[in-house]
Amino acid sequence: VIRTLGWLTIVELLVGLVMAFGVAPREVTQGNVQRIMYVHVPLILASYVAFGVLAVASVVYLIRRDAAADRVAHASGEVGVLFVGLGIATGSIWGKPTWGTWWTWDARLTSVAILFVMYLGYLLLRGTIDDPERAARYSAVLGIVAALDIPLVHFSVYWWRTLHQPPSLMKPGGFTGSTSILWPLLVNLLAFVLLYAYFVAHRVRLLRAEAEVTA
Amino acid sequence: VTADHWTFVTAAYGLTAAALVLYWRRLARKERELQTLARKSSPQHRPRA
Repeated sequence: VIRTLGWLTIVELLVGLVMAFGVAPREVTQGNVQRIMYVHVPLILASYVAFGVLAVASVVYLIRRDAAADRVAHASGEVGVLFVGLGIATGSIWGKPTWGTWWTWDARLTSVAILFVMYLGYLLLRGTIDDPERAARYSAVLGIVAALDIPLVHFSVYWWRTLHQPPSLMKPGGFTGSTSILWPLLVNLLAFVLLYAYFVAHRVRLLRAEAEVTA
Repeated sequence: VTADHWTFVTAAYGLTAAALVLYWRRLARKERELQTLARKSSPQHRPRA
């Protein structure tokens, strides 16, 4: 199943690349640099999915003390940190030619930086506690608390004056741009969600194997 | 005419591809290590008493 998911993800990523460079039009005001959006937005949205799954799995762990739920939370956190880190990096690369700066401490960028640091802390916390049960319990609490930052990141562009533009997809009234931009964005979003699912499935399998070997 | 900044586009996609491939290779390496460990700890590999 994981192998099939892997191949499906590769195909979807390739289709996404073709859509981003072959189908999506050259944006009028920004030029071709706007094509960074087709990797930046899906990375950030897939990281929201990752941290959402982490929070749900953490709640399940705290209620049932189920090691499988803890493994899903752990794997999801790892992939989420990778995705949000790349989302920040690609956003910074996009920001330099369009805003004239790599970074600015506006509400969106600051809240997403806090999100990244919190989940990095989540992974560090897991790594520093030797007792697996205690590590799972403490990190589950942190995983749930950190998830409160996700709406803050998403709505920061409405609540404060920011240099960052409002959301492209998840906004009141839905997507208002051209469908020639919407479809490439949706195809890439699906590709990154599939990639997330593939990485998590693979990592969960490894965590289970690790637990068996060390038992 | 707006400049296209292809260098920035290449950097964003290149960095993402490199990081994702590195993570995938890390998972594959860990899997190999665990398989080796599991083989070593299997009953056939345990020294006889």
